[in-house]
Amino acid sequence: MNMDFVAGAIGEALSISSLIGIGGGVLLGYIIGVIPGLNRSVAIAIAIPLTFYMSPFIAISFLIGLSKGTAAGSAVSAILLNAPGEASSAATCLDGYPLARQGRPRTALKVGLFASVLGDILATTILIFVAIPFARVALMFGPYEMAAILAFALVFIAGLSSGSLFKGLAAGGLGIFLGTIGLDAQTGLPRMTFGYTELMDGMPLIAVAIGTLALSEMFVQSERLRYERDSMSVKLDNSDKDKLGWKEFLTTVPSIFRGTAVGTVVGALPGLGPSVGSFMSYGMAKKASKTPERFGKGAPEGIAASESADNAVIPAALIPLFGLGIPGNVSAALLVGAFAIHGITVGPLLLRDEPELLYSIFAGMIVASLIMLVLGWFGLRIFAQITRVPPHIVIPIVIFFCLSGIMLQGYGPFGLIVLVAFALVGFVMKRYDYSFVTFLVAFIITPMLELNLRQSIILSRGDPMVLMNRPIAVFFIVCTIIALVMLAWRTMKKGKPVAGADPAA
Amino acid sequence: MRQNFWTGLAVCAFALLALNWIIPNYAGVNPMAQMPPDLVPRIASWIMLICGAIIVAGAVKDLVKARALPVTADIDWPAAGWMIWPFFYVFFAIYLLTHFKITHIGAPIIAVMLILLGERRWYMILGCSVVPVALLYVLSVYLMRVGVV
Repeated sequence: MNMDFVAGAIGEALSISSLIGIGGGVLLGYIIGVIPGLNRSVAIAIAIPLTFYMSPFIAISFLIGLSKGTAAGSAVSAILLNAPGEASSAATCLDGYPLARQGRPRTALKVGLFASVLGDILATTILIFVAIPFARVALMFGPYEMAAILAFALVFIAGLSSGSLFKGLAAGGLGIFLGTIGLDAQTGLPRMTFGYTELMDGMPLIAVAIGTLALSEMFVQSERLRYERDSMSVKLDNSDKDKLGWKEFLTTVPSIFRGTAVGTVVGALPGLGPSVGSFMSYGMAKKASKTPERFGKGAPEGIAASESADNAVIPAALIPLFGLGIPGNVSAALLVGAFAIHGITVGPLLLRDEPELLYSIFAGMIVASLIMLVLGWFGLRIFAQITRVPPHIVIPIVIFFCLSGIMLQGYGPFGLIVLVAFALVGFVMKRYDYSFVTFLVAFIITPMLELNLRQSIILSRGDPMVLMNRPIAVFFIVCTIIALVMLAWRTMKKGKPVAGADPAA
Repeated sequence: MRQNFWTGLAVCAFALLALNWIIPNYAGVNPMAQMPPDLVPRIASWIMLICGAIIVAGAVKDLVKARALPVTADIDWPAAGWMIWPFFYVFFAIYLLTHFKITHIGAPIIAVMLILLGERRWYMILGCSVVPVALLYVLSVYLMRVGVV
């Protein structure tokens, strides 16, 4: 590790403009996370247009801070409302809400906060020490290996992110199909543009992302309003028994370490998401406990286990992104788009071409975790008030920001029509369990997949025997086939491959 | 079962449309290219077609087992109407946005939707519709100053 880069990165992360950018991201993320129904990917999709005028470092750190803030904020509504801000905090409800109902909401919130921050910092440290050697190895990969790894990641995500592998693959197929729209990179021929010059550069990524994630989610939420309207939030008061003591906190530390380990492993694998991590961690904490009967009735260890895993997933999901350039979930896929907006190719090349930026992002992530601790500590009462904002107030405002985000980027009516079209696609996918995660990841990585496939075909002159000299590529092709067969078998047998898988965040 | 049947059928229909009309006419042909420009869209369409067919076949098997028909008469029309109206509202908003500035009509767009969703407190309607537009105005003025828009 070059110490000059490290020193420079720390200096940049601690500059006033960076602190404002990162702090703003964490604060916005916290607020969005607290509001039930708004999740991490919705927040990032809406916020990407805001990063247009920021420097690449502040833009990416802002978005990562936003992502971390939503994860911590979603615990607040899980504990006070019994309605998780996002699916990954559902495990926090199991003990968080009962503890809050016992008159200890402040204790529950503080356990959640400390677990989130510790899980996040530990996983970020692991990311720093794993991603760089990983990227060094990946720099030796050629187009054969990259094409094989991308195909494997897509099959894996398709199989694990929806109820059915076939629905996931169908969504992925649509994503690949739409991702090829625009000028062909080799021949310069327009593909499926139907004569519209606006489509020469392909479907506008921001309109597709905001439509599929944010606007469609608002349509889903407005449909739910018909059936469920109000919810009751637990109030914070100044009771003497509602204090987190040092002794009580120490009992949660093993759960935090275990949760961080689980979250890191789950986050590093494409397709699995924070929901899997938090439930798995919760289950392991319960199993390891000497008093498992306390779980589900307000055990602080349960909150610590799920929150640490939930937050550890965010930095861990960046391991395949920075190491290989493969987004393992929607948030990471949106970061690829954000990097692209600033003209940066994310992946192992980032380490070679812009190491200062990579180290600055790592430093910014640590700073974001510390800001999260400060904001969470001093803003508990305010965030508790935000849980009272009813969804029918949130929906029109978010829809307005979706429309204005497209207008701000100058897409005009064309961009707005694309936005609504993809909101419809996203709505249908969410309603009928077609993985919008696979769709979006496939849409974003298609240019990279096609480029590597094309280079492979040109280099090999169409001779598949070339692969015999490429053991890593062969390994991933075999893994893809095995994953395809196993996931298809599981889908046909059970109907649902992995309960609770939610790589949407 | 019914949902799988119809959505699977829609996936197959789109894949067939792509394979038989969109790709042959609009994906481009270049015999000199070592990788034809229509290769990846064609692979994607075949993936959709095969997966769609498997979904339909699974749904048909389940329907036969349950002795049910793929169509049903008991559609909840009020629920369907509630589901659809936000789409039409957003379409209407886009129509307005093509004629007026977003900072001019943003507040009424939010306010009307708030009322349609059941909000009746005038101060909430006023605050929630004016504040986001004011924030957008400040942001766009700043972006204009730094030369982004």
